[in-house]
Amino acid sequence: MLSEDEAKDLLSFLTLEMRADVKGQATGYILGLTGNRDGCRYLQSKPDFLKALVTLTSDPSIAIVKDCFHALINLSADETLHQPLVKETEILSKLIPKLQDPEFVFSDRICTILSNLSRHEQTCRDVFKALQELNVGLDRLVEIFCTEGFNKKASLHYLAPLLSNLTQLPEARHFILDKDRCVIQRLLPFTQYEESITRRGGVVGTLRNCCFDYVHHEWLLSDAVDILPFLLLPLAGPEELSEEENEGLPVDLQYLPEDKRREEDPDIRKMLLETLMLLTATKVGRQILKSKNVYPIMREFHKWEKDPHVISACEKLVQALIGDEPEVGMENLMEVEIPKDVEEKLQELDAKEQEQMEKDKQELEKSQNESPEGLER
Amino acid sequence: MAAPTQGEDSDDGMDEFMEKFKTQKYHNAFNESNWEEEFEKVPMFMKTAPENIDPEKHPDLACIQHIIHDDDRTPEEKARSLKDEGNEYFKEKKYKKAVVSYTEGLKTSCVNPELNAVLYTNRAAAHFHLGNMRSALNDATAAKKLKPDHNKAIIRGAQCLLELRNYAGALQWCDEGLKLFPTDKKLQELRATADKQKREADRDARKAKVKAKKQQNEKEALLAAIKERGIKLLKTEKPPHRASDSEDEDRDEDTSRALADLQLDGISSQEATGARVYMDEQGVLHWPVMFLYPEHSQTDFFSAFSEDASFIDHLAVMFGEELPPWDIDQKYQPQNLQMFFEDPEKGNLYQVDLQESLLRVLQHQRCSVKAGTPSFIVLVSESPFSRQFLSGKKVQRLKLLK
Repeated sequence: MLSEDEAKDLLSFLTLEMRADVKGQATGYILGLTGNRDGCRYLQSKPDFLKALVTLTSDPSIAIVKDCFHALINLSADETLHQPLVKETEILSKLIPKLQDPEFVFSDRICTILSNLSRHEQTCRDVFKALQELNVGLDRLVEIFCTEGFNKKASLHYLAPLLSNLTQLPEARHFILDKDRCVIQRLLPFTQYEESITRRGGVVGTLRNCCFDYVHHEWLLSDAVDILPFLLLPLAGPEELSEEENEGLPVDLQYLPEDKRREEDPDIRKMLLETLMLLTATKVGRQILKSKNVYPIMREFHKWEKDPHVISACEKLVQALIGDEPEVGMENLMEVEIPKDVEEKLQELDAKEQEQMEKDKQELEKSQNESPEGLER
Repeated sequence: MAAPTQGEDSDDGMDEFMEKFKTQKYHNAFNESNWEEEFEKVPMFMKTAPENIDPEKHPDLACIQHIIHDDDRTPEEKARSLKDEGNEYFKEKKYKKAVVSYTEGLKTSCVNPELNAVLYTNRAAAHFHLGNMRSALNDATAAKKLKPDHNKAIIRGAQCLLELRNYAGALQWCDEGLKLFPTDKKLQELRATADKQKREADRDARKAKVKAKKQQNEKEALLAAIKERGIKLLKTEKPPHRASDSEDEDRDEDTSRALADLQLDGISSQEATGARVYMDEQGVLHWPVMFLYPEHSQTDFFSAFSEDASFIDHLAVMFGEELPPWDIDQKYQPQNLQMFFEDPEKGNLYQVDLQESLLRVLQHQRCSVKAGTPSFIVLVSESPFSRQFLSGKKVQRLKLLK
C-alpha cells in the first residue's frame, strides 16, 4: 500500500479547491483501490480519505463526482467499512436529503449506498435514525418510491432493497404496518413490477420481513390490506382452472389470460413462498389461505417449478395447507416450544436437505449448460 | 297583534293607545284550538320554511328573505347568508333549492377563497345527492383548486369518481388526500373501496374475454365441421355488422360473416326461436330445418334435426297419428309424400329420397343451405296441385354423391 508520505500527498489532492486534473487522477486512484478487498481494508483505517470522498460528491466536475460515488458504493459493499463511513464522515447527512431532489442525477447511486449500509443491523439503525432526523422518514421514502417518475434522471429502484433492509428493525416494521395509515397497501402492486427485478425483490423482501410479526396477520389478510393476491399473482400461471376453482379464488387471480407469466427469478419465488409460509403460522391465517383456494395455485406451480430449493419451499407450504390442524396448544406455530434435542435433530436434517438441494441444483445447471435449447453437439 | 295606527308617534298618542287596552278586549289572541297552527306562522317558531314564501300570507318571512338578498350588504355577507340558506335547504333534503342558493352565493363578487371553497363543496354535495355526478365532480374540483387542503372537497371528489367508475381517478384523489391527511379514516376507506372495485372490474373484463374466446373457438369448430362435410352455406348479400374484438378482427371477419348467415334465419323466421345449427358432444350436427307445403301455404319448423336422422323417420312422426289441421283432404300421408329442394342458382328442383339422412342430402353438390336453415318442399305425389306446381319446373331425381 501507500507509505505515510504518499498517503499524505494523495489526501492533499482530494480537496474541492484542488486543480481538476490532479483531483481527477487522485479520485481515479482511490476508485482503483476500492476495487479490491485489500484496498478497501486499507481505506478503512483512513477516515480522512473517506471524508474527502464524501466531500467531493459536491464537486463541480461530473467525472469526479461519478468516481466518488462509485468508490463509495464499493466501500459500502464491504461490511467493515460501514461504521467508519457513518461515524467518521457526513455521508448520511449529506446524501440522504438529496433523495428529495427530483432533479438530482445521482439519486440511484445514493440508494445503492444506503441499501448497502443498511444490510446489517447496527449500521441499519444509524441509517434509520438519520432518516428520521433529516425529515426523510419512511413515509417520505415510500411516497417517493411509489410516485412514478418522481425523478426523471434516476429510477430509484434501489429504494426497494433499502426498505427491505430497514424492515429488519421493528421500528421500521411498525411504521409500514401502521393500521392508521395507508403505507403497506401502496407497496403491494410492486410485486408485479415487470420493469425492475430490484424493485420487485425489494418489495417482496419487505413484505416477508413484515410477516414475521404474526400479530398483524389477520389485518394483512383482511380487506383493509388484502396481501394474499399480491403474493400469489407472481406464482400463478396461465393454466386454465375449472370454473369452480376460479370462482373460489381471490378476485385478482380469477380467469388469468393465456399470456400470464410467472415470476422469473427463483430467489423471489422462494421469498414469496416463504412469506406465504409465514402467514400459515396462525390458525386464522391457515383458515383464510385454505378458504381462498391457494392450493390449486400451488398445485399448478409445483408442476411447473424446476429449481429444487423453490420446490422444497412449495412443498412445505402445501404441507401446511393440506395437513391436519395441529393439536390444541400448538395452533400458533411461532409460539410452539421445541425441545433442545428435537431442535438439534431438525437442524441436522435441514443441513442434509440443503446439501442435497445444492447437489440437485448443480445437476440441473450442468444439464442446462450441456444441452442448450438448440441441442447442439 | 294589532298594528298601531299611522301617525301615532307622540307620547300623547302612546297614552291614548295604552288607554284602549283598558276598554277593548284583546281580539287576536291565540285560542286553544289553533295556537299550534298560529305558532307555525311566526317566523321565529317555524319548524320548516314554506315552499314558496308568499308575501301576502307570510309578510314577515318575506321580509326576512328580502333582507338576506338585500343589495346593501357586502358580497361576503351575502355569500355567507346564501350559504346558510343553502345549508338549511340541504338539511331538509331540498337539494335543488340548495343548489340554487349556493349558486347565488357563488355569483356574488365575494373573494374569500375559504368561503367559496365551502360553497363549491356544499353544492357538490347537493349535486351528489341529486345524482348529478359530473356536476358534483366539477364543483369538488373547483373547491380543491381554491383550497387544495379542503378535506371535504377531496373526499367528495373521490366519491364522485367512484360513482362514475373512474377507479384510477378515485385512487389518485384518495392518495392526494392521504398525503395531506395520512390518518383520515374516510379517505382510507374510500381508497380501499376504489381499489377493490377496480380489481373486480378487471376480473369481469378477463372473465368476459375468456368466455368470448371459448365461444369463438366453438364457432370455429362448428364452421370447420360444416366445411369438412362439404356442405355449402349460401352467403346472404348484406351480413349484419358485428362489433368484434379489435385484436381478432381479421380472423373474426370471415367467421362472423359466415356465422351471421347461420344465425339470421332463426331470428327472422316466424318460428323465431333463435335456433341455429350446433354440434353435440359426439360431434353430430343438428340443423334447424324448414318444411314448406306450398299447396296450403303452410310451413313446419324443426329446431334440431340430427344430420344422421332420415326424412322418412321424421315425416312418419309429423304425419303419423294425427294429420295436420290444414290437411283437410287428409292426403298428406307419409307414403304419399314427395320432397324436393330447390337450387336457387338454376331454379331446378331436386327430388329427395326420403330414406336418406339429412347429411347425405345436404352433401349433394347442388344442395346449399340458405340463411343457416335447410328448407324442403313437400308435395303429395300425383296430386293435381303437385302436377301443376311441377309443370313449369325442371325436376331431377336425386343422384347421390359417393
